[in-house]
Amino acid sequence: MLKLAFRNLLSRPMRSLLSLLGLTVAIAGMVGLFSVARGLDAMIDDTFNDIPGLVVMQPGAPIPIFSRLPTEWGDDIAAVPGVAVVNGEIWQRVNVIDGKTIISPPRFLFGIDIPSRLALKQCVYRNAMLTEGPYAGRFLNESDRGTLNIVVSQQIIEEFDKGVGDTLQVNNRDMTIVGVYHHGSLLVDIAIILDIDQVRSLTLFDPDSVCAFYVEQEEGVDVEELAERIRSAFRGRKVERWQPASAIQFAPASSENPLIDFLRRLDHGLKSKKPPPADGSPEERAPIDLDGAESASSSETTDSRIESVPGQSFASIQDAAANSADDGAGDDGDLPVEVRTASDWADRFDEFAGDLDIVLGVLTSIGVTIAVLSIVNTMLMSVTERIIEFGILKANGWSKYDVLKLITIESAVLGFAGGILGSLFGRIAADVVNWMWPTRAHLYASPGLLMFGVVFATVLGIAGGLYPAFWAMRMMPMDAIRRG
Amino acid sequence: MIDIEDLTKTHYRGETEVRALRGVTCHIPKGSFTFIFGPSGSGKSTLLYLVGALDNPTAGAVSVNGRNLAELSSRERDEYRRHDVGFIFQSFNLLKNLDAVGNVLVPFMPQGISKEMRQRAIDLLNHVGLGSRLDHRPSQLSGGEQQRVAIARALLKKPALVLADEPTGELDSKTGAEVFGYLRRLHTEQQTTVVVVSHDDRYVTDGDRVLKLQDGQLQNGDGK
Repeated sequence: MLKLAFRNLLSRPMRSLLSLLGLTVAIAGMVGLFSVARGLDAMIDDTFNDIPGLVVMQPGAPIPIFSRLPTEWGDDIAAVPGVAVVNGEIWQRVNVIDGKTIISPPRFLFGIDIPSRLALKQCVYRNAMLTEGPYAGRFLNESDRGTLNIVVSQQIIEEFDKGVGDTLQVNNRDMTIVGVYHHGSLLVDIAIILDIDQVRSLTLFDPDSVCAFYVEQEEGVDVEELAERIRSAFRGRKVERWQPASAIQFAPASSENPLIDFLRRLDHGLKSKKPPPADGSPEERAPIDLDGAESASSSETTDSRIESVPGQSFASIQDAAANSADDGAGDDGDLPVEVRTASDWADRFDEFAGDLDIVLGVLTSIGVTIAVLSIVNTMLMSVTERIIEFGILKANGWSKYDVLKLITIESAVLGFAGGILGSLFGRIAADVVNWMWPTRAHLYASPGLLMFGVVFATVLGIAGGLYPAFWAMRMMPMDAIRRG
Repeated sequence: MIDIEDLTKTHYRGETEVRALRGVTCHIPKGSFTFIFGPSGSGKSTLLYLVGALDNPTAGAVSVNGRNLAELSSRERDEYRRHDVGFIFQSFNLLKNLDAVGNVLVPFMPQGISKEMRQRAIDLLNHVGLGSRLDHRPSQLSGGEQQRVAIARALLKKPALVLADEPTGELDSKTGAEVFGYLRRLHTEQQTTVVVVSHDDRYVTDGDRVLKLQDGQLQNGDGK
């Protein structure tokens, strides 16, 4: 019967081909769109798997770049049982590199306390250092304190055609590249790492504040338990919640970069878990800097606030924040610090990836609906033309279910072939996009997504053939033969 | 073999009622060679299709070997058509996407085709003189060859009953005679009951039964 189904399809090559192409395009589109979400998922998983510690930051701040905490609190965190290393860090947006204005993808100055950073057992940047090949170099060490020696991502060094030992002019300051790292995550490969005091000096950052603390736990200590201990240690202290208007009031209203738009939504969700306002208000413009720990990315807006309030102190931020309302309620309620584990970050990213799936699903359904109608049309025309054939089959003892099966197999073959081709082209398209824009896109057409594409297309094919099949199977053989 | 009792069939063309059969009663004995004659629109083909369980009567009954076809389940009717009845149509009614062997095997495709069955199909095609045309599709065969494929398809079932609807209607005299030759041989060798709807009385021989229909009514009783 399968052979007959194939022959029936091949006997109408152009119509079958057009129907196949319709479904192929729809499935390829679906695979391409969902590979955006899968790419985010994969990137998030890959990134946070490499960041096992905790981030302590100002409550309500969506990401560390907006957070301010007193530097001295690092000692209090270090005193919490189970804490192995506390690393203070500062994130600041880079505006200009080698005379080129940096808008997208964003780049960040990542100031680290070098001694404590070196004490970390797991440092995503240090682990990603290139030690062989043309970009072989080293991570920062004690000798880099007080210097403008930097470690940069391979993306940045390639973008500006530099090498280890070269000078990179960042925000009009000459910096010397001593090492290059490459992680592969868009959330990580965005930093220019240097001594924290140098970042303070360059950006007029409050000398008594840091953005956040990255905390590494002692071996065998559960991060969730440690997070709770840190929260308990700070319970009762006073600190104002982070408020977006004080930080990014001069942010532009929109971005043309979809990744940044997504990250902006993420930012909002991280701070309020509410849907973003539709008016693109400034507080929606925050970049994501993942890490407290180890990464960042962002919109072009951040620096406006950084530079509009240079050197703002922790106290001044508190004052400014005191006027604002409830936005930014974090997980930690009224606690003066918010402690996030890697899984917290990943969970929140996943929520947004889920939202993205809904949007992509709606977009995909349009193409898929057209493809299904195409199959219905093809099969209905085919069935209409072959009424006499079904009469002959029934006259020769085929049951109505045999006829149903034959038509359904034909449409399923169309669906299956469309699924295979669509998944293949979708995968190729995702690879091409990744290849053409390696620093801006990370699409991932996973084997599961490809398999889903094939199964989904086959189901669509079957569904598309069912109506014509039911129509054909209900007809009496004599009616069918007489029609012929 | 076949008992037809007060058989009525009414169908509609748009809003027009067409009374194709109006109370036909007759008996077709087992092993007989029966012709149904009559002008166009007299109800010949309708009667044939009702005997073949391709349609349901409006009233009356068709019984084959004591079984009322109207009382058969859908599955039993399928099996009756698959195993007990061989159809031969005026316009051959072959499937254009299958070759000669495939067309002969069509009735058994849903159940799967065994090697033995395929070999039987080939033997039958050889038997009707199409041994060199096994992989030809209907469009590559002449009218007479197509009808022989249809005959082979009917014979593969080893049916107790063959129903032929104007089997020579689109064939020349010589080819028509050949087709009737095969039907006669089938009737003689396997004692198959053959019912032929035709306009052409040249193929009637002694001992054949003839039913004459006009305006949906039988004109000559039980056809003796």
